[in-house]
Amino acid sequence: MRVRGVAHAFAGRPVLAGVDLDVAAGERVAVVGPNGAGKSTLLRIMATLLTPREGTVAVGGTPYPEGVRAARRRIGYLGHDPLVYLDLTAWQNLRLFGDLYGVDGLDDAVPDALARVGLLPRAHDHVRTFSRGMAQRLGIARMLLHSPDVLLLDEPYTGLDAQGSRLLDGIVTGASSGTAVVMVTHDLARAHALCGRVVMIARGLLAWDAGTADVSHDQLAQRYAESAG
Amino acid sequence: MSRVRQLRALVRKDVLLEAHTKETIVAMALFALVSMVIFQFAVGQRAGDSSLIAGGIIWATVSLAAVLGVGRTWVPEREQRVLDGLLTAPVARLTMFMARAIVLTLFLLAVEVVIVPLGIVFFTRQIAPSDLALMAGVCVLANLCIAVAGTLLASMSVFSRARELVIPVLLLPALVPVVIAASGATQAVLGPGTQLAEYLGYCRFLAVYAAVFSLVAYATYDHVLDD
Repeated sequence: MRVRGVAHAFAGRPVLAGVDLDVAAGERVAVVGPNGAGKSTLLRIMATLLTPREGTVAVGGTPYPEGVRAARRRIGYLGHDPLVYLDLTAWQNLRLFGDLYGVDGLDDAVPDALARVGLLPRAHDHVRTFSRGMAQRLGIARMLLHSPDVLLLDEPYTGLDAQGSRLLDGIVTGASSGTAVVMVTHDLARAHALCGRVVMIARGLLAWDAGTADVSHDQLAQRYAESAG
Repeated sequence: MSRVRQLRALVRKDVLLEAHTKETIVAMALFALVSMVIFQFAVGQRAGDSSLIAGGIIWATVSLAAVLGVGRTWVPEREQRVLDGLLTAPVARLTMFMARAIVLTLFLLAVEVVIVPLGIVFFTRQIAPSDLALMAGVCVLANLCIAVAGTLLASMSVFSRARELVIPVLLLPALVPVVIAASGATQAVLGPGTQLAEYLGYCRFLAVYAAVFSLVAYATYDHVLDD
């Protein structure tokens, strides 16, 4: 995934001021930064939800907005919310998104995805009856159903209990060698433990970019504090 | 990836949501039913030949009920915070538009199954079986017009804070030509002696209206949802 010179503003207030970021296949990158730094805006632009005022984004050489539908097919996005319908069952939700992404063999793929996140026994229950964490696990199953090349995660641990967090940790670290992961998080310890790189966004700019093999968690926390001001 | 498969999935999703919540059709049908009863009390006993105004009453009622249906468009996505999930899926925006329009057409047909027979009972003395087929034709064409215009306006206001105000203010004036033509076609059927030429003229107008709004949607819908 390649991000070049991306800038964006809301109501005239600059949020991103020219960010460059390359994420190779199989790489896991954590995006950290203080509130309002522009992390979620950057991720929403990468997920094709926002069109940047300036700059370009491309997945596997497919730039968008020109090749936006091809790019969307390769992206799995999970935000603070699970992005599933509360008034449909877990099965109906996955069936819907499977059809939208053109997933073959849904009769097998849906139960497999539900079993992976531990929701197979609740497959035919409406999501409204789920706890917040269960809904988020269904959101994880939705994100993975079409086997995306890029996982974009915006504070994905929101609402997850310890078991759900371990499940997501396993999905992030166990992503196939061709899958890139970009995760926005405030959890520096988890970013250091799970990701090979940590990039810091501050005041709409990429402040620094560090490999986690080169810095300890304490050093990371110190650099974060210095950049966040 | 088959657009037909995506279209079918989106339509099925809205039908399943409605089957579970029953929020839209019930509200539309109840509103239309109460309106028809009020019209019956207001004019039913006084009008000399109320078949002349039956079409106007039916289609004014249907278009007001349509405001409720159009207003509910995109509400599950907003309330259940799933809009981002839908917008990041590789679905052509026009496919989303067509799914919404088909569902709204189905909802309007469900309302008309109640309203049109009631209007005939309240405001006309008799109707030939062949005229029912002509009425079905008006319903299908008028529903297409309402659904296409309504879906476009609902999508334009999906990110608006004052959408409850925006939708009726924009939709009702846009539906005035539909109400005029559908009422005219209905009067040509239900009034004294079926006026086939007049009926066909109004139907042609409805078809052109639906085609024009479909073209506008085709040209603009990507920008409506993506920008």
